[in-house]
Amino acid sequence: MSQKKPQMQVEQKVPENIVKKTARDTKLREAVAKRRTDRLAANKTRRAQWEKNAQAYQNEYQAADKSLVDNIRKAKTEGGFYVPAEARLILVVRIRGINTLNPQVRQTLRLLKLRQLHNAAFVRVNKATIEMIRKVEPYVTYGYPSRAVIKNLIYKRGYAKINGQRIPITNNNVIEQQLGKVGIHSIEDLIHEIVTVGAHFKEANRFLWAFKLRGPRGGFIAKRRSFINQGDWGNREDLINDLVKRMI
Amino acid sequence: MTSVPLVSVFSADDSTKVTAKHIPLPAVFQTPIRPDIVSFVHTNIAKNRRQAHAVNPQAGMQHSAESWGTGRAVARIPRVSGSGTHRSGQAAFGNQCRKGRMSLPIKVWRRWHRRVNIKQKRHAAASAVAATGIVPLVLARGHRISQVPQIPLVVEDKIESYEKTTDALNFLKRFGAFEDVQKVVSTKVVRAGISKQRGKKYRVRKGPLVVYFNENAKLLKAFRNVPGVEVVNVTRLNLLQLAPGGQLGRFVIWTQSAFAHLDKLFGTYRYASVLKDGYQLLRPLLTNPDLARIINSNQVQEKVQPAKTTTVLHEVQKKNPLRNTKAMDRLNPYARKQRAAAIAAIKANTKGTKKIKKNKALKKASRAAFNKVSAALNDATNAAVQEEQDIKVKYFSVQKGAAQAE
Repeated sequence: MSQKKPQMQVEQKVPENIVKKTARDTKLREAVAKRRTDRLAANKTRRAQWEKNAQAYQNEYQAADKSLVDNIRKAKTEGGFYVPAEARLILVVRIRGINTLNPQVRQTLRLLKLRQLHNAAFVRVNKATIEMIRKVEPYVTYGYPSRAVIKNLIYKRGYAKINGQRIPITNNNVIEQQLGKVGIHSIEDLIHEIVTVGAHFKEANRFLWAFKLRGPRGGFIAKRRSFINQGDWGNREDLINDLVKRMI
Repeated sequence: MTSVPLVSVFSADDSTKVTAKHIPLPAVFQTPIRPDIVSFVHTNIAKNRRQAHAVNPQAGMQHSAESWGTGRAVARIPRVSGSGTHRSGQAAFGNQCRKGRMSLPIKVWRRWHRRVNIKQKRHAAASAVAATGIVPLVLARGHRISQVPQIPLVVEDKIESYEKTTDALNFLKRFGAFEDVQKVVSTKVVRAGISKQRGKKYRVRKGPLVVYFNENAKLLKAFRNVPGVEVVNVTRLNLLQLAPGGQLGRFVIWTQSAFAHLDKLFGTYRYASVLKDGYQLLRPLLTNPDLARIINSNQVQEKVQPAKTTTVLHEVQKKNPLRNTKAMDRLNPYARKQRAAAIAAIKANTKGTKKIKKNKALKKASRAAFNKVSAALNDATNAAVQEEQDIKVKYFSVQKGAAQAE
């Protein structure tokens, strides 16, 4: 518009809301920066702790291996036999699909987290779980996983159940957020808990989503038969490790 | 420059001269802009000028056509009776037929007009008047008002006595309204469609609307021939002129007395209208529309929760830590050292585990035990083999002896 005629005289002053907003914004910015520095410092201490724990676990595992060998040798010298403790942990792998399932079998497989073909899950060994596995035996194969297999499963195929969502375990915050309160802060803590079936195995296992494995390279022998009968289903004890290595 | 609460009245002869300063804006210009009410009222009011029309009720039915029924290998539509012409036997009456009557023929008793509640009409008019005082709305409607000194443009009553079109034109030029008139002239086009044969040859845009007050004003004749300009008395403000097409923001030129009359017409927020019986201007939803000020006020900011920070829990893509060293380091910082130690051990040509302190005594003892067992086994095997050999030798020698005996 030409001939702009100001009706009111306005002083060149910064409007009040802008002054307030800039003050508020600087305060927020400072808070964010401080949060960041605090977080970075905390992360440093956390990482040191993870390293320390991982080293402690490595020593523990090696000591366990060594003691097993020592015990066997000792038994040999005495002319006897060393019987190691029965496995406390089972890895169950579903080898049958979803069609034409007995409802009880269906439900039990769900309880074991095995909702899909080639799903694998850790199960603690006790009377209750043994009975459950017996119910679904022709549909699964199971055995006692080695430390290496447990480790590889969790590193490569490890996903967490957070708020009903399947979240990949890409950093230890995922673990810390859910399991920090039971003393599991890093992935090595988690693996240790699973391997040793510790006091918080329940929380640790519940935290894990079922492992979604691929079909085994080289195939199954015969899923229609039990493992004992030159087939695949049922308990195959330590040989589960060979199978799962082909399925990871 | 929008919604200026004070308005200047310009001299008709000189657009730089102001005859009256700081006239308060009538309350109508402060009413809320309600495009929903305006468009509703406009769509209905626009139907009220329609004239009834209809098709001839007998059109397409002036036959004694009858269906031939089934069994004659033709469709069952009524067919024109008689013979001796192409038309006989052709389909008739149906809307699908050539020369048939249309489906649902238009009747004159179609409901052409719409009634609208008086209050709605008044609110719409008030809203439309308010919109004429808002520059962005007038610009958005397409008026060329960049050279107009003030919106709303109020001019002294002298223009009401203009008799010559030249006076009118010069007045418009002086106040920068001629650009709008030029727009109307340059965009006059021949209408598309059959209406051009029915007396509506040209489509002409709307230009400025001149609003006057005195009934015996002569300016109607002066402005009548200027393309696009409409003239209307303030007591007869028409929504179809204030918001043509339902679009708010007509460019309006008010005379001083017309402008002053608006308060009596529509009333203010202090008192109801004098001339529109019992009409009270619409009240706005927000008394303080300055949202920025409300949001940034102390009262609101005290109650406001801190902004949510979006923390991403996990990386977007999962990398395999067994193959990706960065991913592994993120999860297990000790793995790097383990790997380095393993590589070093391989280089040093030793087993890849930490040197375990071997229990040499135990190893020696178990070795001794093993040797003992294996030695015993060995002796036993040798003894068994020897025994078998002896038996065989004995047998063969017996046989030999027997053979020799024979």
